[in-house]
Amino acid sequence: MTADRTDLAFLGARQLAVLVRERKVSPVELTQLYLDRIERLDRALRAYITVLPDTALATARRAEAAVMRGARLGPLHGVPYAVKDQFDTAGVRTTSGSRIMEHHVPAEDATAIARLDAAGGILLGKLNLTEFALGGTQQFPFGQPRNPWNLEHDPGGSSSGSGIAVAAGLCGASLGEDTGGSVRSPASFCGVVGLRPTWSRVSRHGSFPLSWSMDTPGPLGRTVEDAAWLLQAIAGYDPKDPLSSREPVPDYARTLADGVRGLRIGIIRELTFGPETDAEVRGAVVEAARRLERLGAVTDEISLPLVPLAGAIFMALADSDGAGVHFRWLRTRAADYDQGTRRRLLTASLIPAAIQQRAARARALVCAEMRDALARHDLLLCPTAHQAAPPIAAAHGVITSRHEVAGRFFTRRSYVTPAALAGLPAIAVPCGFTWSGLPLSLQLIGRSFDEATVLRAAHAYEQECEWWRRRPPGAS
Amino acid sequence: MTDLTTEQVGALAAALGLPATPDDLAEVTHRLNALIEALTPLAELPLEMVEPVPALGDPPRA
Repeated sequence: MTADRTDLAFLGARQLAVLVRERKVSPVELTQLYLDRIERLDRALRAYITVLPDTALATARRAEAAVMRGARLGPLHGVPYAVKDQFDTAGVRTTSGSRIMEHHVPAEDATAIARLDAAGGILLGKLNLTEFALGGTQQFPFGQPRNPWNLEHDPGGSSSGSGIAVAAGLCGASLGEDTGGSVRSPASFCGVVGLRPTWSRVSRHGSFPLSWSMDTPGPLGRTVEDAAWLLQAIAGYDPKDPLSSREPVPDYARTLADGVRGLRIGIIRELTFGPETDAEVRGAVVEAARRLERLGAVTDEISLPLVPLAGAIFMALADSDGAGVHFRWLRTRAADYDQGTRRRLLTASLIPAAIQQRAARARALVCAEMRDALARHDLLLCPTAHQAAPPIAAAHGVITSRHEVAGRFFTRRSYVTPAALAGLPAIAVPCGFTWSGLPLSLQLIGRSFDEATVLRAAHAYEQECEWWRRRPPGAS
Repeated sequence: MTDLTTEQVGALAAALGLPATPDDLAEVTHRLNALIEALTPLAELPLEMVEPVPALGDPPRA
């Protein structure tokens, strides 16, 4: 493989679409490039559960023919992409990362998949995830996904494969699903961009559910521009999801380069300067805030006292929803779940109603706190995670005390769950590396349906720093 | 709220018809007690006047 072909694999979806449109690269060549890389690298990374070489190449040949005859091309025409195996794909098994669904073959595409295909994307395959998009899987049924920056480290979840595949150049872009950080966490740990859109901005139809009021499909890409173009393709009302929004979808690319001059950005004190935040994370995020200031944003530190409780509130609510979804299988197929998943869902099944109700009321207060802050600021800023990707081994093993539970589950979730509880758009964008070479990530949270401002600020920062140009050591 | 014991958790699971191994029950007890403890600070908030409904999806400000 030549250096030029490797460069192509890391260009990102939007630039690839431009090259296809200009006939500088063929969709078939691109698809074969990614298939070759998957063949070579994914044995170790385990980003994919199912690869679709035949259908991807057939789609690519049709895409190439359309280019050659001068047909009208969609915005992602000829771009090979991949999706979390939580999204239904017609005629292709959709496992949700579980043995329970290993033979499930849907008859219909999820709406987000149908829209990416309509935009011209070429589906390469289905990506690995924590079982049923819950965190804490101990034994991945389809292989342990690994972080391309260090194979012994966690790639994040639940959209693990979606982060790995983009970071390692195994697809042009990917689709994940974010209930409580499942797009942003793998984006953070794998050093790519991940966007959680406003809840209801993107149809949930055909996505295996966890929590009705938080589940949100979202794109992962090498650049903010990639995320913007993917969001453009998948956003908008869908009659198949009655909770999807009828709010008009703006042209995200049009305002992407508008910069941050005059934007008011609140730095969340509890998450940026709190005792749980690793010093390297804090340093990188503070430096990112300074960069945004130099670009013309106005920043100030704000306090959101309820935010540190968000992780536990989230688990009381989202896990309860999940327990409802899984109740029948928990009774009849308990042994078919991964041990970590089963114990998490069992716990959620037994949460006292008074506690669950208290969490639901507290959620409303967290929403109000976030909303008040966003009445005074255009964006909120904090780390995406309190630390860089931990070793895989740190997340494994039997839990022997309640203190382990708090450390393993509640603390880290408090960084990504405030936006989930409040239904707000949030983006994870790379903001540096640890001394040991693991990616660090900045999070920007915006107002409801104001993804445009979130994307525009993230793009301004990204263009200034260009962390996205770095590649994992083994992936070239 | 006092800590739940493994026996109490086992009884709750059995009442719901949820099968669990002894190892499951030991870990679920830790998880459940940890969650209840983590949410204890919420009792100090003025929650009685708050409706337990998330206000999601507000339209953008003018």
